[in-house]
Amino acid sequence: MLDLALPSMLSPLYLLAQEEATGGFQLSTILNQALNGLGIVGILLLTGLGLSITFGVMRIINLAHGEFIMLGAYITFLMQDVFKMDLLLTIPFAFLGTAIIGAVVELTIIRRLYGRPLETLLATWGLSIVLQGVIKLIFTAQLKYVKSPAYLSGNVTFMSDPSGSPLVAISYYRLFIIGVALALLGVTMYLFYGTSWGRQIRAVTQNRSMAQCLGVNTKLVDMGTFAYGCGLAGVAGAVISALKTVAPPMGQDYLVDAWMVVVTGGVDKLIGILAGSFLIGESNAILAFILNDPTARVLVLGAVIILIRYRPEGLFTVQKRT
Amino acid sequence: MANVVMGYKQSTFPAKLAVISGIGLLIFIIFPFVMGEFQVSLMSKLLLFGALAISLDLVWGFTGILSFAHGIFFTLGGYASAYYLKLNLSAEGNTYGGELPDFMVWNGLETMPWFIAPLKYFPVAFIAMIAVPALFAYVVGYFIFRSKVSGVYITIITLALSSALTTFFISQQAYTGGTNGITDVSKLSFFGTAIPPIGLYFLILAYTAFVLALGWWLTQSNFGLILRSINENENRIAFLGYDVAQFKIFIWALSAGLAGVAGGLFVPLNRFISPVYLAVAFGTQVVIWVAIGGRGTLIGPLLAALILGQVQNYAEKVTQDWQLMIGVLLLIVVLFVPNGLMSLLPKQFNLSNLSKPKPIMPANTVQDSP
Repeated sequence: MLDLALPSMLSPLYLLAQEEATGGFQLSTILNQALNGLGIVGILLLTGLGLSITFGVMRIINLAHGEFIMLGAYITFLMQDVFKMDLLLTIPFAFLGTAIIGAVVELTIIRRLYGRPLETLLATWGLSIVLQGVIKLIFTAQLKYVKSPAYLSGNVTFMSDPSGSPLVAISYYRLFIIGVALALLGVTMYLFYGTSWGRQIRAVTQNRSMAQCLGVNTKLVDMGTFAYGCGLAGVAGAVISALKTVAPPMGQDYLVDAWMVVVTGGVDKLIGILAGSFLIGESNAILAFILNDPTARVLVLGAVIILIRYRPEGLFTVQKRT
Repeated sequence: MANVVMGYKQSTFPAKLAVISGIGLLIFIIFPFVMGEFQVSLMSKLLLFGALAISLDLVWGFTGILSFAHGIFFTLGGYASAYYLKLNLSAEGNTYGGELPDFMVWNGLETMPWFIAPLKYFPVAFIAMIAVPALFAYVVGYFIFRSKVSGVYITIITLALSSALTTFFISQQAYTGGTNGITDVSKLSFFGTAIPPIGLYFLILAYTAFVLALGWWLTQSNFGLILRSINENENRIAFLGYDVAQFKIFIWALSAGLAGVAGGLFVPLNRFISPVYLAVAFGTQVVIWVAIGGRGTLIGPLLAALILGQVQNYAEKVTQDWQLMIGVLLLIVVLFVPNGLMSLLPKQFNLSNLSKPKPIMPANTVQDSP
């Protein structure tokens, strides 16, 4: 009676990263696993970045983050389907589209709920249901496929066995994801630490009312920040869309992981998100190699819970706010 | 107006509340005799969901701990009762001939795991149904509430818990039946005779009424006052000398136990339990009932679970987009009716007003201004 589709609990990003480990307990297998881990790190970084901005700056518990990833993926699908665009070209559209939707959401919903984090959490959960429902209405629940560009197929091989089959390899697409994630991180860091807009954002983060007194238009900053965070989620969706099928519930799979990354790294410094995704991604890959996939996931989630318990502000937060 | 003599405590018996709840109970008692079999089983299920929602209301509405983990407690209780029913099915003679349940045989388990075997006996299973979720909640609660972790992070912890446990239950196929969970369980029987659906309905109705009454009694008591104050201002209550963490842990574990029994009753009704009910989606479903019904009203979440479930039953015959409607409703409630739909009821019908005894002091005695 309850319409509860069980999302694939072995989150897709872990499943697709687990290419069959070859051979026994060899150096090459471990290296391969570590490289796989890097692939996960890329995805985690991409999905967590937008969240860390909305949470870090605005203290918004955005449970609809996964749905913005989904929206980005659908925009990419639409662009590819209608205009036969290359995946790379659709990225700006995915960014703009989700950023605009994000701005509208901020104006209509989030703005009314400032200072009430738990209400925001509920509202964004409602929003995520609505977005899924609307997308399902427009595109139906059917799975969609996005083609990755031909020049991004294939693997980089670092080591191969005598017969020539690769031992340690990573696909170009995975490298591309890592590249995009790092580039976005770089751009965001520049925006935050190198521009006046970023200075305003940081001022609002540190002391909202003081920033307001000094003439910062906090409402505009909030809207811009939320839109930017959503836009980043859209880019993540566009890039991830080619890895997996595109479907309305796809965002759910990324939500919990993105949150884990954000709380691990802390939101004080943007670099924390890189460290957080690196820690979670690599420990997941290595543990999955030693034990198995589900156990690795359970252990990592358990570790994150313990971490939140002792350092709710994240591992990489220097100064504690009281 | 009854005469109040100073110094005499007026009767605190909430007569209006008693009348209204009596009528409510009567409706539910007549219900199965009027409606068909399908409605009886649907209503039984919804009543259980209502009990689950009430248990969440105790921790969220009254104490201010938003938890996505109540699906976990529900499911833990459910698994305890599912093992009991499954093992007794095996004993009666299952198609595999052995003592082992089918899913264990399929997954190559040779002997009964020691931690599942005792669940064959009703008292053990009954205790496990309450104790396993409550103990689990106690451990988790002890861990998180005795720290400086605050509201939002607790919610994130419950999200992670739910995700981790779902993965765990799916991966331990030999012990839990994996994604399918435990299916084809035997009927719940009472000294050898299987309980008919209507009997199950009354059992469930009794349990839900019990949960509602317990919740009401707890929250009207001094204990409930402390819970509310924790929600309002945790620091002040701590300064007054109360051990806030202890109160939180207690209500958390109690609520988990209540949810566990609801899960345990759910299995004989539903005839299966699976990790679906562990997942974040079900946990949020419970949160949605409480949010829409009204936090801290007890009856609101119950009504929300009942009404939304009934409407969904009819709506799904017409449309595929029930979830979308729920989302819109949730958004509307959060934005415009933050205290839930119960707050739209006229004040005199509010549960908290109904159950409030009339003021003991006559108004004119409070006159200390010159």
